[in-house]
Formats: sequence, structure tokens, C-alpha cells
Amino acid sequence: MSSVNENFEPKILVFACNWCTYAGADLAGLSRLQYPPNVRILRVPCSGRVNPQFVLRAFQRGIDGVLVCGCHPGDCHYTSGNYYTRRRYLLMKRMLEFMGTDPERFQTRWISGSEGPKFQEVITEATGIIKAIGPNRKMRDDLTIQAAFAQRDAEEEEGEAK
Amino acid sequence: MNPIAQEMQNIAKELLTSGEVTAVIGWEKGTFWYQSTPVMITSAEEADKLIWDEFCQPNLSKYLLDYRLNEGKVAIFVKGCDARAFNRLLQDNQIERQKAYLIGIPCPGMKDHKQAALVEESAKDSVPLAKVCQSCRYPNPVVYDRLIGSEVTPRATEPDFSDVMALEAMTPDERYAFWQEQHTKCIRCYACRNACPACNCRNCIFSDSKSGWISKDVNTSENQFYAITRATHVAGRCVECGQCEMVCPSNIPIMLMNKKYIKDINDLFGKYDAGIDIDTPTPLGHYKLDDPEEFM
Repeated sequence: MSSVNENFEPKILVFACNWCTYAGADLAGLSRLQYPPNVRILRVPCSGRVNPQFVLRAFQRGIDGVLVCGCHPGDCHYTSGNYYTRRRYLLMKRMLEFMGTDPERFQTRWISGSEGPKFQEVITEATGIIKAIGPNRKMRDDLTIQAAFAQRDAEEEEGEAK
Repeated sequence: MNPIAQEMQNIAKELLTSGEVTAVIGWEKGTFWYQSTPVMITSAEEADKLIWDEFCQPNLSKYLLDYRLNEGKVAIFVKGCDARAFNRLLQDNQIERQKAYLIGIPCPGMKDHKQAALVEESAKDSVPLAKVCQSCRYPNPVVYDRLIGSEVTPRATEPDFSDVMALEAMTPDERYAFWQEQHTKCIRCYACRNACPACNCRNCIFSDSKSGWISKDVNTSENQFYAITRATHVAGRCVECGQCEMVCPSNIPIMLMNKKYIKDINDLFGKYDAGIDIDTPTPLGHYKLDDPEEFM
């Protein structure tokens, strides 16, 4: 098991708002700041665009961690988008934990356009944490299908044995 | 016949004969003794169908959506939770206040029809109250045009989150196993959505397979996706009528998820009960500058 974890490269999905976090990521690149290549950045017009269903779908399709990032409160390009996001994800984070996902796998951060180093830091930290806890096996649709097949096979075998 | 049912029938007759309303929504006796199903009546002769017993749990307010395009007024009987559901639909601009005539009935609590289905009619009295009714805080209608009977004392003053807290106390893996077991049972009949007075989208993302949000496979992952999304869509708008759980053919504890959201909303954004008054904005429909900060 430990050898699997050592070679494990997590897939992390980052929702980055166009006006702040995406610019922050751009700055990190321009400043030649190194960060792990495990992230997939998805640009959204505003962090308010990040429908909770996107997060669930990401976990279903095999993402190991999700980061939702946007402008700091007061800096939203659309005045209030990030305040709604904040309310929504305070609840969503708790619901995900209530459903049994690991709390580390879903994180939320404010990263402004001038915070290239913060972007680097957040990505490095998140990758480290998710690498340490290993691949996500919860909520994944391929795994639940596999489990259903395994159960059916076991039941059939049991039937034959009888 | 009990006096409340008698009065319901009299009022229905009076309203339909005078032409004040074009239809009356109430309950009639269903196929089984433990079922009272919604009924829509349009003539005074049909008023005899109306009943009031301990199984009148269906929330009638949702049926007003079928009368959205009706030109006349519709009369509807409301218990505490139906009245909250009515306010909820009003706040969502789904219905118009002046097109409904509300007849309030203070509710003594409804019996659990799933438990009742397991026993004979003679054992009727031993059937417990439905789970949501046991901790009901609003048995009296919060809005009505006319009231039948006298107000009753609520069974509880504070919301009961003990089942939510019991689950919160488990480890993530235990919780995951619990929900996996529950959602494996789901057959995705969408009865919980159809019965819910907070689910009032004209086009539900789950009805349209082209939306791509849900596939036709019935597997636990998709069931869970449906369950979480459904709970999220009604977050801050759930009136705790428990219809979702009552209609679920697989006995999934759906109210647990709704109550989790209610509990978190209370903790994070201040106490809020959906459908009590229509002027307070919904928790997810507004924000405050000093909301708790967890984004770092």
C-alpha cells in the first residue's frame, strides 16, 4: 500500500475565477514560480459560477481533490459573486463531510491577481496533503459500478455453491 | 363523521356554490385505511369526499402549481406545514396570494402511514406519529383566510437535530458507509422531488436526460449525486414537512440531509425557518459582509 502512495500523483481540479485567481496563476507562471503539475485549472467567469454539482461531478469522475478559488471579499469583479459563493460553499463543505468525504479533499481559497506566490503556496500545500491521504475512492462512479459487479458475482457464486 | 370534516365539507360546498372559488383542494380517503390522498373538487356535490383524519399528511400547497394558469380562485386546506409551504411558493413567485383561499386547520400531528401499513386497522391507535410530526414546531397554520378548530400547542419549541448530530459524531468512513447503504436502495423514482413543495422548477435538471447531469444508470454514485443535489437545491427553503421521506419507497432518511442544511444555516447565518414570513430573504438568496470566513 505504501508503494502505491509513494508513486501516487493526485489529480486536483482548481476552479479559478477569471479576474483574480486566474490572473494570480498567470503571475505565478510569469514569475517562474514552480508548483506541482498535479493541478487542472478550470477558468470560470466568477467563483459564483461554480455550481456545487461541478464539485460532485469532479469527484464522481475520479478527481482526488477540488479547490474553489476566487477574489477576496470586496474585490469581486461583479460586486457580490464571491459573497454568495462563500455562503454556498460554507454549507457545501459541511454537506460533503456529512456524506462521508474526507474534509481535506475539498478546499476553498481567496487568491487575488497579485498573489502569485500565494497561488504557488496553496497548490503545493494542497498537493502535499492529498498525496499523503492517497487516491479518492469515495463517490466515484467507476468504483461503485465495479463494487456492484463484484457483489453480483459474489452472489452468483454463492448461488452456485448452494 | 368528525366535526372538522363536517365543517370542511360545509365550507367547500358554500365556496363552490357561491362561485367564490373554482376548485377546492383537500383530502379524500385513499385505497387503504392508512392513506388519505389529495383530492381536487370542482362541484358542491363532490364535497362529501372531503375527510380529515390522522393520515392527512400529504402537503397540498404544491398542487397549487397545477392551478397557476387558472383564472379563478382555488380554495385549499392548510395544516402548519402546508401553510409554510404556501409561503415558500409565494416567496418564490410561483403562485399569487389573491388567487388562493386558505382554510387553516391546526394539526394534532399525523400518523406514520408506513408503520400503519404493517398492522391491522384495529391496531390503529398503536401507530406512532410520523417522525417529522413528533418534533413539529408549527402545527398551526402561519397564514390562512379562515380557521377551522382551535389552535394546538406545538410539540417542540426548538428544532430536533439529535439524529443529525449522531451521524456527525461518526468518522467520515462510517458516515460514507451509512450513506452508501442508503443510496444503494434508491431507485430514482424522483417521488421525493415531486412531493416537495420547495422543488418547483418548471424544468428539473433531472427530468431532462439531455442536460447531461444524470445518466440512466442506476448506480450508487449517480444516486448519491442526485440526493446531494436535491438537498442542495432545497437548502434554505425546506419547510420540514417531511413529504420526501414519507413518499420514499426505499425508506431513505432524506430529511437527515435537509436537516443537516437547516442546522448549518442556523449555526452559520443565524436562525432561519423557511416559510414563516415572506419578507425575510432566503439564506442562500442574500449575503452579509460579515459572514463566517473559511476561505483563507
